[in-house]
Amino acid sequence: MSRDWNRSFPSRRNIFLIGGGVLWVGLTARLAQLQLFESEEYETKATENRIRLDPAPPHRGTVYDRGGKILAGSKRNFFVTLRPEAMEPGDTVPALLDRIGEVIELSDSRKRQILQDVKSQARFVDTLVADDLTWEEFARINVMAPELSGVSADVGELRSYPYLGAFFHTIGYVQKASDKDILRMLEAELTSLHVSVDSDAGKARAATLRRLYHSPQMRVGKQGVEYSAETALRGTPGKTRVLVNAAGRVMDRLPSEDIAGAPGTDIVLSLNAELQNYAIQRFGKENAGSAVVIDVETGHVLAMMSTPAPDPNEFVSGISQKLYDSLLNDEKNPLYHKAYEGVYPPGSTFKTVVAAAALESGAMKPEDIVHCSGKAWYYNRFYHCWRPQGHGAVNMRSAIQHSCDCYFYEAARRTGIEAIAAMAKRFGLGHRYELGLTGGKVGVIPNDAWKRAAVKEKWYDGDTISAGIGQGYVTSTPLQLAVQCARIAGGPGVPNPKLLVAGMDVPDSEITPMGDISEQTLEVIRGGMFAVCSEPGGTAYPYIQMGQLDPKGELPAPYTNAKMAGKSGSAQVRGTIERDARGKQISREEDLPWKLRDHAWFIAYAPADNPRYAVSILVEHGSHGSGAAAPFAYDILRECLKNDIGSKPVYSPKKGVASAEPQPTPRKPGEPA
Amino acid sequence: MIRRDTIVGKLTQMPWFLLLIIVVIAVFGILILLSAASSAHSPITGQPDIHPELAINHASRFAFLLLVAIGVALVPLRLWAGIAYPLYFVGVAMLVAVDFSGVIVNGAERWLQLGPIRIQPSEIMKLAVPLAMARYYHQMFETNRSGFWIHIPALAFVAIPVALVLRQPDLGTALMILGTGCAVMFFAGLSMRLIISVIALIAVAAPLAFFFALHDYQRQRVETLFDPDADPLGAGYQLQQGLIAIGSGGPAGKGYMQGAQKELNYIPEQRTDFIFTIVAEEFGFAGSVAVLLLWAIALLQGMNIASKSKSAFGQLAASGFVSTLVLYVVINLGMVIGLLPVVGIPLPLISYGGTVMMTVMIGFGLLMAVHLNRDNGMSLRGIF
Repeated sequence: MSRDWNRSFPSRRNIFLIGGGVLWVGLTARLAQLQLFESEEYETKATENRIRLDPAPPHRGTVYDRGGKILAGSKRNFFVTLRPEAMEPGDTVPALLDRIGEVIELSDSRKRQILQDVKSQARFVDTLVADDLTWEEFARINVMAPELSGVSADVGELRSYPYLGAFFHTIGYVQKASDKDILRMLEAELTSLHVSVDSDAGKARAATLRRLYHSPQMRVGKQGVEYSAETALRGTPGKTRVLVNAAGRVMDRLPSEDIAGAPGTDIVLSLNAELQNYAIQRFGKENAGSAVVIDVETGHVLAMMSTPAPDPNEFVSGISQKLYDSLLNDEKNPLYHKAYEGVYPPGSTFKTVVAAAALESGAMKPEDIVHCSGKAWYYNRFYHCWRPQGHGAVNMRSAIQHSCDCYFYEAARRTGIEAIAAMAKRFGLGHRYELGLTGGKVGVIPNDAWKRAAVKEKWYDGDTISAGIGQGYVTSTPLQLAVQCARIAGGPGVPNPKLLVAGMDVPDSEITPMGDISEQTLEVIRGGMFAVCSEPGGTAYPYIQMGQLDPKGELPAPYTNAKMAGKSGSAQVRGTIERDARGKQISREEDLPWKLRDHAWFIAYAPADNPRYAVSILVEHGSHGSGAAAPFAYDILRECLKNDIGSKPVYSPKKGVASAEPQPTPRKPGEPA
Repeated sequence: MIRRDTIVGKLTQMPWFLLLIIVVIAVFGILILLSAASSAHSPITGQPDIHPELAINHASRFAFLLLVAIGVALVPLRLWAGIAYPLYFVGVAMLVAVDFSGVIVNGAERWLQLGPIRIQPSEIMKLAVPLAMARYYHQMFETNRSGFWIHIPALAFVAIPVALVLRQPDLGTALMILGTGCAVMFFAGLSMRLIISVIALIAVAAPLAFFFALHDYQRQRVETLFDPDADPLGAGYQLQQGLIAIGSGGPAGKGYMQGAQKELNYIPEQRTDFIFTIVAEEFGFAGSVAVLLLWAIALLQGMNIASKSKSAFGQLAASGFVSTLVLYVVINLGMVIGLLPVVGIPLPLISYGGTVMMTVMIGFGLLMAVHLNRDNGMSLRGIF
C-alpha cells in the first residue's frame, strides 16, 4: 500500500468533516432566518395566498321610460347548473344531460353547447345548463335531485323586457359574454385607466373581469342602450372572500359584508312606452317601417320605433339558430333599427330643405312663379313631374302643397347644390346623432367634394336637378327627418335630440346648429306644409281628416281644435336609371311586387300654429307618402296631444337603495354645522 | 465465539446504530408522506381526511430495500470490488443507449426501457462511479504507484458519465456524479494545491458558464434564486410557495397534518423534491433541525466506517458514498430553502420515489459491507 495515501486519509477526512460542518451550520442558519426571524412575514403571505377575492355579480341597473315604466328590468330566475366534479363516479355528462332532459326541455344543440362548455372549464367550475325555468320545471328538478348528483338548482336574477319587441332596437338585449366581449371591455377599461395589459394591475383586472362574466348569472349588453351603457348598468361588482387552493378551486366562503358591491345605475329614457306601443300597433303586422316622435320644446325623443321587431327575451338565454336565421332572412328586416340605421332617399320631404336654401340664398322669392307642364327640359333631357298633366303656375307655397317637382327642379337649378347641401346640414341631415345606442347612420348629403371622393366623378348639373326632389344621391334616416321636421316647426331654438335623460350622459358636439334663419323663410315652408294637410289640393288633405286633429273638439287645452302641418315623400326603390329623375310610370305602383314599391315618407308637426310635437313616419314599400304614411302621422300626433306626453314630469329613479356608498344628508342653509 | 466471516457472525457485527438512524429517518419520511396526502381537517368536510396509500408504498419499499441492504452487506466486499468495473462499463453503455432510445420524461431523456423494466442508468452511475474509482485507486496503491499522474485516468472515470448525463440533460445528477467523483479523488490524496487552484478557476469560470453554457431553463432557475419574486407565477412560483410554507411554519410548526400550504396544494412536486416544505411547515424550526441532525449523525457514522476500513477500496467507496449523501441533502435542502437553484434532487429516505431509495439503500448496504470487512486489507490481485 502506498504510504502517501495512508498518511493523507485522516487529514482529508478532517477537512471533509469541517467542510460538512460549515454546510450544516449554513443550512441551519438559513432555516433559523426563515422560521424564527421572518416567520411572521411568511405567515402573512400564506394567508394572502389562500384567500381570493371573487367578484359577485351586482344587480343590473333598470332601464325606465319617461313615466317610470320598466323597459328592461330583472326578474326572478330559476336556473340549473352542473359541476362535473360532483357527479356520481361512473356517470357521464351526456347521460346526466339526458336525464335532465326528461324533466325539462333541452334541445340537442343546447346539449352540445353544454358539453362544449363543460370541456372548456375545470371540473370544479359550474356550467349553466338551463335558466329562465318555470316554477314547475324548477320543482321537478328539485324532486329529481337524488338522481342528479352534480346538478344544482338555484334562484337568481335574469334580464327581462316586459314590452317584448317594442324596444328591441333601442334598448337591445343582454346575453352571456363571449371571450371577445370580455376582451373588448377589458381593453376599453384598461385604456381609460391607462393601465397596460401586461402589468400586474392589468392582469389582475383581466382575471377579475373574466371571473365576473363567467359566473352563470352574469350577462353583457350586446346591442343598443344595454351595450353602450354596459359599464353604468353593470354597477360595481362586490367581492366575496373565498378560500382557494392552488388550482383556484373554492374550498370555502368567508364573511365578506364589508366588500359588497354597488348595484348598477338606473337609466331613464325620454321615450314613452304607451306612445311607442301605440305607434307599433298602428303600423300593424303587415307594415314594416319606422316612426320617430320628437318633443319640439325639449328635444326629447318620445318614440323611436322600428317594426317589426323580435322579442329580446328570446336572446337572453341564447336564441336558437333556427329562429335567428328566420329573423336574418325576413324581408322586413326585423333585426334592423330602421329609425336609426335605415338610410332612404328622403324624396319630396327634401323639398322643404331646397325651399329654405332657395329663399335664404336669394335664388328665389316666395312669390316667384314656375310653370309646370308635367315635364321640364334640363341639360338635354326631360325631367318629369309626378303629375303627368302638370300643375300650371305654382309659387313656393303651392309647390310645397302640391309637391310639384318642376318647381323644385328649377329652384334647385337656381340655388346650386352647395347651398342646398349646407341647408340640409342645418336642417339636421347628414349627421349620426349620438343617442347612446349602437349603430346609427350618417346618410348622404351630396355635393361636389362628396361625389369626387365617393363616386370618383365630378358633380354634374343634372345631379342638382335630381337632388332638388330628394332623389339621386341624397339619403337620410327617419330620425334625421324627425329632427328636420322639429327644426322647421320650432326654428333655431329647438334643443338637440336627446334619448338618455338620466343615468348616463352622451355628449354630441358635432351637431350642426340650425343657425340664423329668417322667420319669414320658415313661415313660407310652414305655410306650404299646412296647406299639404289642411287645404284642398294638398297631397295629404284627403287622407287625414283635412288636417283637423280635433274634429269633435275632444282634445284638452291648449290642443283643442289643433291642426297639423306636414310633407309627404316617396323614396324610389327601383333601378338606377329611374333614380336620376322621375321617368314615365311604367306601371302602377300597386301592381308591383312589395319589394319594388317606393318607400312612403311623411313628416308632420302639431299643433300647426304652435308646434309641440314633430313626427317622421317611414313605411317601407308603402308606395305613396300621403296615402300610406300620413294617416299614421295623424294618429300618432293626435295621441301625443291627447296625453300631452312631453309636458308631464320625467321619472327620476330612487337613488342609493342598495348602494354601498352612503349618501350625505343635505343640510339646509342656516342649519348649524 | 462466532467467527466473524460467517453469515451469522456478520449479522451480529452489523452497525446497529447506523441502521437505527436509517430506520428513524425512513419512518419520519413515512409519517410525512402520510401527512402529504392527508389533512386533519378537510377544507371541504371539516373531518379528518386520511389517504395512507403513499405512506404505505413508501413503507413497503423501505422494508424491502432494508432487507436488500442487509443482503448487500453480507456479500463479501471482495466481490463488490470485483464487479465494480463491469458495473461501471454496463452503466456507461446504458447511458449511451439512453441517448439513442431513451424515454423522454419532462423534456429530458433519462429512462431506458428494457422489456417491462424501466431503468435510469444515471442512478446506477451514482454508485458505480465511486466503486470503480475506489477499485482503481486500490489497485494503484496496492502496486505502490503514486504521484500526480494516477489521478488522470480517475478523472476519465468521472468525466465520461458526467458528459453523458449532461446530454440527457440532467444537470442535477451530473453534478452529483461529478461531486462524488471529485470527492473520491480528494480522499485519494489529490494535491491540495491543485484542488485549491481548480476551485479558484471554477470561481472565475462559473459566471462565464452561466452566460454561455447553461440552458435557458437552467439560467432561469439561477436567476429565480436571486429574485424569487420576479416571476411569482412562473419559474419562481415553486420556490416562492416553498419559502412561504417553510417560513410560516415558525419555530414549532403548525402541527402534524395541519399545514395550510400543503392542504391547498400550493407547492408543485411537494411529495418528491419539495417534501422538506411539509416537514418545515408542520414541525417548524424544531422539525427542520431534527432532520438535519439525523442526517448529520448518519453521515458521521458513515465517515467513521470509512476511517476504520483497512482497505483503500473500503475507505474510498465508503467516503465516496457518504459524499453522495452529503450532496443529496445539501443540494435538496439548499434549493428548497432558496440557497441553491432548483435542480431535481430529492431528499433521500423522505421524498417519495423508488429509484432514489433503491440507490441510497444499496449504498448503505455497501457501507455496511465495508464495516463488516473493515479489518480485511484485501488484495485485489487475482480477481479478474
